[in-house]
Amino acid sequence: MIKQILSKLPKKVPKSDSSDSSRSDSSNSTSFGNVFQCTNVGSTISSKLNVVKRVSSVVFPASMSAGVEAVDPCLSFKDVSNTQKQSLFISKLNLCCKVYDMSDPDKNSTEQDLKRQTLLELVDYVSSGSVKFTEPAIAALCKMFATNLFRVFPPKFRTSTTGGETEDEEPMFDPAWSHLQVVYDLLLQFINYNSLDMKVAKAHIDHAFILRLLDLFDSEDPRERDCLKTILHRIYGKFMVHRPFIRKSVSNIIYRFVFETERHNGIAELLEIFGSVISGFALPLKEEHKIFLWKALLPLHKPKSVGIYHQQLTYCVVQFIDKDQRLASSVIKGLLKYWPVTNSQKELMFISELEEILEMTSMAEFQNIMVPLFRRMAYCLNSSHYQVAERAHLLWNNEHILNLITQNRQVILPLVFSALVHNAQSHWNQAVLNLTQNIRKMLTQMDEELVAACQRRIEEEESGASAAAERRRVTWERLEAAAAAAGVQSSSVGGGDVLVPVKSATCSVAC
Amino acid sequence: MAMVDQPLYPIAVLIDELKNEDIQLRLNSIRRLSTIARALGEERTRKELIPFLSENNDDDDEVLLAMAEELGVFIPYVGGVEHANVLLPPLETLCTVEETCVRDKAVESLCRIGAQMREQDLVEHFIPLVKRLAAGEWFTARVSSCGLFHIVYPSAPEVVKTELRAIYGQLCQDDMPMVRRSAATNLGKFAATVEAPHLKSDIMSVFEDLTQDDQDSVRLLAVEGCAALGKLLEPQDCVAHILPVIVNFSQDKSWRVRYMVANQLYELCEAVGPDPTRSELVPAYVRLLRDNEAEVRIAAAGKVTKFSRILNPELAIQHILPCVKELSTDSSQHVRSALASVIMGMAPVLGKDATIEQLLPIFLSLLKDEFPDVRLNIISKLDQVNQVIGIDLLSQSLLPAIVELAEDRHWRVRLAIIEYIPLLASQLGVGFFDDKLGALCMQWLKDKLERNARISRECCHGVDLDRVVHLTSLWSKELSSRIIVDRSSSERLAFSLHVYSIRDAAANNIKRLAEEFGPDWAMQHIIPQVLDMVTDPHYLYRMTILQAISLLAPVLGSEITSSKLLPLVINASKDRVPNIKFNVAKVLQSLIPIVDQSVVENSIRPCLVELSEDPDVDVRFFASQALQSSEQVLCSEKTLSRSEMGFDDH
Repeated sequence: MIKQILSKLPKKVPKSDSSDSSRSDSSNSTSFGNVFQCTNVGSTISSKLNVVKRVSSVVFPASMSAGVEAVDPCLSFKDVSNTQKQSLFISKLNLCCKVYDMSDPDKNSTEQDLKRQTLLELVDYVSSGSVKFTEPAIAALCKMFATNLFRVFPPKFRTSTTGGETEDEEPMFDPAWSHLQVVYDLLLQFINYNSLDMKVAKAHIDHAFILRLLDLFDSEDPRERDCLKTILHRIYGKFMVHRPFIRKSVSNIIYRFVFETERHNGIAELLEIFGSVISGFALPLKEEHKIFLWKALLPLHKPKSVGIYHQQLTYCVVQFIDKDQRLASSVIKGLLKYWPVTNSQKELMFISELEEILEMTSMAEFQNIMVPLFRRMAYCLNSSHYQVAERAHLLWNNEHILNLITQNRQVILPLVFSALVHNAQSHWNQAVLNLTQNIRKMLTQMDEELVAACQRRIEEEESGASAAAERRRVTWERLEAAAAAAGVQSSSVGGGDVLVPVKSATCSVAC
Repeated sequence: MAMVDQPLYPIAVLIDELKNEDIQLRLNSIRRLSTIARALGEERTRKELIPFLSENNDDDDEVLLAMAEELGVFIPYVGGVEHANVLLPPLETLCTVEETCVRDKAVESLCRIGAQMREQDLVEHFIPLVKRLAAGEWFTARVSSCGLFHIVYPSAPEVVKTELRAIYGQLCQDDMPMVRRSAATNLGKFAATVEAPHLKSDIMSVFEDLTQDDQDSVRLLAVEGCAALGKLLEPQDCVAHILPVIVNFSQDKSWRVRYMVANQLYELCEAVGPDPTRSELVPAYVRLLRDNEAEVRIAAAGKVTKFSRILNPELAIQHILPCVKELSTDSSQHVRSALASVIMGMAPVLGKDATIEQLLPIFLSLLKDEFPDVRLNIISKLDQVNQVIGIDLLSQSLLPAIVELAEDRHWRVRLAIIEYIPLLASQLGVGFFDDKLGALCMQWLKDKLERNARISRECCHGVDLDRVVHLTSLWSKELSSRIIVDRSSSERLAFSLHVYSIRDAAANNIKRLAEEFGPDWAMQHIIPQVLDMVTDPHYLYRMTILQAISLLAPVLGSEITSSKLLPLVINASKDRVPNIKFNVAKVLQSLIPIVDQSVVENSIRPCLVELSEDPDVDVRFFASQALQSSEQVLCSEKTLSRSEMGFDDH
């Protein structure tokens, strides 16, 4: 298992190989080092030694890094000389590479405790700030992170309930969390470390490492996702070279989620990171970032689980528009494209997002999309789901939006007026009726003449509606007849010029 | 109107319709594309309609999906196969849109068209299209391209073939996992068209890359590729190249990949052949049966029989049987259930002795499993064991368990036993049945007939009685008629239950009884009951009776319906509950085709007209729907005559 994971981290493979080959000659010095160590420090810990030796003999062979003298991992940092701290650090890390099955708390409980203790010591040691991360230390650290963190999640627990609405399900808690938490803690400390040699660090925190880390965002455990969020954010901040790669990989996760599986637990967390990433984009926005907005963020409105991450998604979208106002109309177009047809809860979210966006939209941008937008709004005003209808009415209370509407009332009023009339005639909900009345009152105050014109037009349209439907039916009937005639002609004449028979058929119908 | 005088421009009609803001209208017009094409004629379809469609790709996904589908069958409208290439450009655009189902449909349509196109057209038009898509800037185009290679490859000239293979290789290493997944999915189809020498060199190296992909989603698709490629390769190559991959996959660190191996195991075994299976895949399979992840064990357990069939009995007994024993006490009920559903099939494989010695204890323990699904799965396959160990032994060892289950606390299990009695009876032979099971069945029947409380309880439990009736027909008609008389009274009980599905089943039962015993019997036994219940104070029962009437009417025929049933329905239309009233409308609608025209005119329509003025909106809706359908019946007769007349005019 460990080997397999390591093989995914290409840069470290040769190293672990060389450590394997140097195993035999270093094992001598190991035991020597041990003895030397003990006599040096004195008898206080000799009692520990017996217990410890058994463990160390298991741990040591695979754990040696070439050229570093190994030290018993169970010693305490304060008990060794400064020169040996480095080796102790590495041997402690190697001890922590053993992964236990934590679902059964009784199994290996002493070893599990020892590992946890060691992990905590490591965290303390690193947080003291006096550590110097050498190349072998970083390699050992990253190896320890990889073996402990990078795992494949078990299948989702089979539930008998149909559907798969993840919203109201209990979150799953990883039984190994008591170890994982400390490992994450250590990873965060490591990345945050002030005097970290970035050149060496980035050779180990490489693309493969980041990819594995991103895979973990699918964890069912919210605590884990929270840790990952902080860590990825720091990595993004600190490792400038990896930024494009992280952006690309996160996009891939989003594409897969939207276009293939619609299942991922960590979209909200990833978007939260991106919210702050986007706010840091330099102006003018690069094409790559705009593509992320159009091809990843906007399609994220489509999955039915959008509710889980909608808040974060809205934040990201708003950040984009905040950067560049000219994006507003394309964003609204996207929202209209993914506008929910049957899911009223989603529709409510869309309307609130729309309101947030419209508040930042300039007149020019607004005019680009107002026709399709208010066609949609007319449906929302009419919605038989009273919350949707209510929410759509409340948009008009927003001062900025009302201003936009007022300035373009010649276009907008005809689009929504019939919806208001219909509501007044037949909406079942009293609150909606009141809101409709308010808006109509407001519109009359705004432009009485226009309202009257709209009223007239609706009356005309209503009387003309059946005529239009009839016209459509006749047209298609004529087409059908023309098609049939063309078919008959071409088969009898043998596929000659079809144009003429079409016309004649038209005439015969017309007469 | 002026418009009628205007000449008809089919394209203009389409353009106009596609501008409409109502998506339903846009969809309708796309669905009638063929009409427009026929009206235009082939040439203008090619020159005007198709180019217009190529540009009209900014619509809702639903409209685009419809368009992609329509274009797939458009060859006749553009002038046949020799003009098929004009259909490629609009579909090419649709291959690049965002929405997955539109893209998939476009690829499907392209494949359908490509399969009919002439070779030279494929070379001239289709191959460039595939290349363009494969080099597409956005991943959607590249994803689509993967599904098209197998269409063009066989027709391509040698140089181009080399190029196509190279392009596919690149797609398998694409930057985007989405593209790699698509390439992995389609690899089998493409490989089937590639010549043997290239298969071994080019395709296998591509495949090996995919099997080592760092995304498990790609690797698990490659598992399917194993089976597909294995069938194409020579046996020795398959053993050399595919077998190690399968063995590796069976130890993959991702349970999804291992699950896929377990799931595809039989196909994989078929691909590598029986000998390597015995030598190499047995350990792999045993590992899967003992996997840590229950999902993997479920998939593996389901293949126990199929896999054992490939092996010889000794190997199966030596390696597989111990695992089966373990699985029969697995901690996951789903694993046990999967095992129970196939384990009976192992009996013929292992032979009589091993079955008696080793399998029977497992059967028995599964028969007593706490989880009902497990027990049911065993019961449903008893016949397979019978064939191996013979009836005597079966009855000795399993019948006690079956009898015990017949008194199971869980009513579904009892139901299942009763359901399987006829099956057992036919499998085990009438003699055996009368001997061993007959008494048991009689006992059940007695229980029900003698104790009314029990009857109603059994009715609650669904359709046991129906099974019993079915069963008794195995014995004698005499007995069954007696039961059925009692039965209609138990149906009554069933009607008064609160679970819809049971009332529904009861109504259906009545119908089937009427079918079996004819209208006379029904008049005698059913109709009085129905007459009685139609005035029941509980509206749900009244509603069930309405449903029963609509089911009975076609069976009983026009006369009884109009004389006995229709008055009841008409009466019910005066009910105070709107739900009854709109159900009356629905029932009346269903009666229209059964009764005479005059009855429709004189009783049904007046009643419907009245209902269509009901204060309740739903009643009005269903009444007007029923009225419409009654008019349609009239109309269809009229239009038939009108169209005949119209034809004469020409």
